[in-house]
Amino acid sequence: MNVRLPSRENVVTRSLAQIGNSGLFLLTLLAAVPRSMRHVRETIRQLWFVGAMSLTIIMTCGLFVGMVLMLQLYHVLSIFGGTSASGMVVALSVYRELGPVVTALLFAGRAGTAVTAEIGLMRATDQISAMEMMAVDPIAYVATPRFLAGLIAMPLLCCVFCAMAVFGGHLVGVTWLGIDNGTFWSNMTAVVDVRTDIVNGVLLKSLAFGAVVSLIAVFQGFTTPPTSEGVAYATTRTVVASSIAILALDFVLTAFLM
Amino acid sequence: MTQPVRPPADDGALVRIRGLTTVLNGKTIFDALDLDIPRGKVTAIMGPSGTGKTTLLKHITGQMRADAGSIHVNGENVAELSREQLYKLREGIGYLFQNSALLTDFDVFENVAFPLRQHTKLPEVLIRNLVLMKLQAVGLRGAARLSPNELSGGMARRVALARAIVFDPMLILYDEPFVGLDPVALNQVLKLIRTLNQSLGITSVLVAHELAAVQRIADHVLLIANGKVVAEGDPKTIADDGSPWTRQFFGGEADGPVPFQYPADDYARALGLAGAGR
Amino acid sequence: MSQPRNSYAVGTGLFIVLGFAALAYLATQTSSVANVRQGDSYTLQTQFTNIGQLKERAPVKIAGVRVGQVQSITLKPGHDVADVTLSIDRQYDHIPQDSVATIFTSGLLGDQYVGIEYGSAKQVVADGGSLARTRSTQPLEQMLSKFFGAGGVVDNVGGSYTVKANFTNVGTLSVGAPVKMAGVVIGSVQSVRADPVQLNASVVLSIDKRYNAIPDDSAAAVFTSGLIGSQYVAIQPGGSPDALKDGDEMVLTQSAMQLEDLIGKFLVNGSGDKKPAGEK
Repeated sequence: MNVRLPSRENVVTRSLAQIGNSGLFLLTLLAAVPRSMRHVRETIRQLWFVGAMSLTIIMTCGLFVGMVLMLQLYHVLSIFGGTSASGMVVALSVYRELGPVVTALLFAGRAGTAVTAEIGLMRATDQISAMEMMAVDPIAYVATPRFLAGLIAMPLLCCVFCAMAVFGGHLVGVTWLGIDNGTFWSNMTAVVDVRTDIVNGVLLKSLAFGAVVSLIAVFQGFTTPPTSEGVAYATTRTVVASSIAILALDFVLTAFLM
Repeated sequence: MTQPVRPPADDGALVRIRGLTTVLNGKTIFDALDLDIPRGKVTAIMGPSGTGKTTLLKHITGQMRADAGSIHVNGENVAELSREQLYKLREGIGYLFQNSALLTDFDVFENVAFPLRQHTKLPEVLIRNLVLMKLQAVGLRGAARLSPNELSGGMARRVALARAIVFDPMLILYDEPFVGLDPVALNQVLKLIRTLNQSLGITSVLVAHELAAVQRIADHVLLIANGKVVAEGDPKTIADDGSPWTRQFFGGEADGPVPFQYPADDYARALGLAGAGR
Repeated sequence: MSQPRNSYAVGTGLFIVLGFAALAYLATQTSSVANVRQGDSYTLQTQFTNIGQLKERAPVKIAGVRVGQVQSITLKPGHDVADVTLSIDRQYDHIPQDSVATIFTSGLLGDQYVGIEYGSAKQVVADGGSLARTRSTQPLEQMLSKFFGAGGVVDNVGGSYTVKANFTNVGTLSVGAPVKMAGVVIGSVQSVRADPVQLNASVVLSIDKRYNAIPDDSAAAVFTSGLIGSQYVAIQPGGSPDALKDGDEMVLTQSAMQLEDLIGKFLVNGSGDKKPAGEK
């Protein structure tokens, strides 16, 4: 299959077309939500595959992010005696930025690619056509459950990530580096605000990222050419497009919410 | 290569196609195609590769829309059906894909039960019995717990067939059912098609290339080329039709109405022999 | 007969529960909603005029050793002192009634904690009792103003008028230094500039509008508070029936004492000068 583009198109117009098409696809997904209520079991099944199966990587990375952050902060803050603020900085930076963004990137890499590949293969082996033939709406049965599962799983995964990061920061800071335990918590609790940091930061941001990543993953799965080569390209595109979208959306959300 | 004139209304035809025209990517797939699928019979649709036989099946099920013309299935115009009506229609049509298209997430039993679970609220006991009956009919009741990737090609095709008949449809479309089967599996599939047609009266449409197999079970053969029906008739006599199409297709000639050479520019010029014409 | 869906439901349910537990942990334990109770402790009430940067859960120390933490910091409406509740480990229950609770800062930029210095009373303070003697924090500005002479005077924006005064030498008088009359602050120095024509220092004083009966023949002198303290402008009232108005110039001025002049006075018996402005 010839991969060369006609000279009229270029990366910019292609990307714009993809963005537009995924926007329209989102409308299709949302319109199918009432119909997909019949397939609640499928949504739960997808929530397991997309959410619970990602727990390992999310918890491990959360722990390490918290530990590394504390190490770096301690090193810098000890220059002017401000190590007591390190707990607060770890919590704030994780809740507001690192938590949602890193969780979303990991999610795109692990769950997003799995969804894209699965849907692409289903198309390549005519399973989607078979569903259409059996009068089962493939959008309501395949696409929307995966989209909703990603939407639900992301905030939960982000909370777990943040909790593990704080735990990791505590582990390194208090147990290893010797920051006072009470100082660690008192500075953190004094500054972390439930509405700005946890609701806006952790929950809202991760919800938005979950929507974007799930949308891109499902869209790529459904629009890729149903060949093995097409599926391989689609999974790559899922990760790339998701990453760019996450970071761009992060900037927009931070400007508006914080 | 003239097309026989057809009577406008014919209750013996389950599927009636009139004037079907479809253009895909600039290529004319169908050009004012007319054909009838007789009720209760086994009809084979044959033709060179790429003439759009699978596309024709997709038109019948409403998965693709024609640019012009009409398709009537059991008296209903497919293009005018709403989504719900279309899904109702599809419940009465079984479709056997070339690669079986079993859902990889489920085992054999769940694959056959899938349409029942999706469209009915039957109690579990009834679903179980129905599924086992269909599996028994195709001879795979013992394989109910296997997963699709543990099945051979022939077995997978039979499971797909069991799934296709779970609602006792009025029409089954077989897309290349004999491809890649060893002689034993081939005979098994032939037997099933014949049985379903004879004992249940299911109209069967086969898209196939294997003339020997077709001759054994088809009541009616249609040869489609260049977007039109170029020959039709009884499988035993169609080879003696006399038209260049049947001569090439059934007579085994390599060159004829379907050319051997892919369209290309002048040969001599391509070789650099300037001035020489052909 | 398989129901493969049920096992997914259980696992998914567990996953959702875990996620919500993590959220609950974040919200309650790490945010400002957190309110930790220690086991086996008793509480003391204290009041501070200024808690500075003290936060809840900050440590309470005796002789530098942690004995408890700050449980709550509240301000009753209408009061101008903060009520701070300390939660102390039960094993430290011999704190005399007259002990002093001070808010200390650990390090220059560190955070603050409450240190308790034992008094000498025989009676110990009981659970729920209070320590009456407290020492509040020193706001940074007050500390720095003692060194640099600025601040300490409230800006009276819109409620003041300005007068000019020229000095041959303003010493270390700086913008914001207080203007006092009879030792009471009535305004502040608005600007200090060198006059290129008259070759002296032109100072603009901003005086609170309430003091609008200052005679216009009053003298302005640059004094030093204490021996080596910061400098301020003192207004010595005259006897004129007319009062100073906005934009007037004070004619009689006394410049700052220079250290060199002082030393010179002792060594060479030089004379001081009190000249009207404009004359050299």
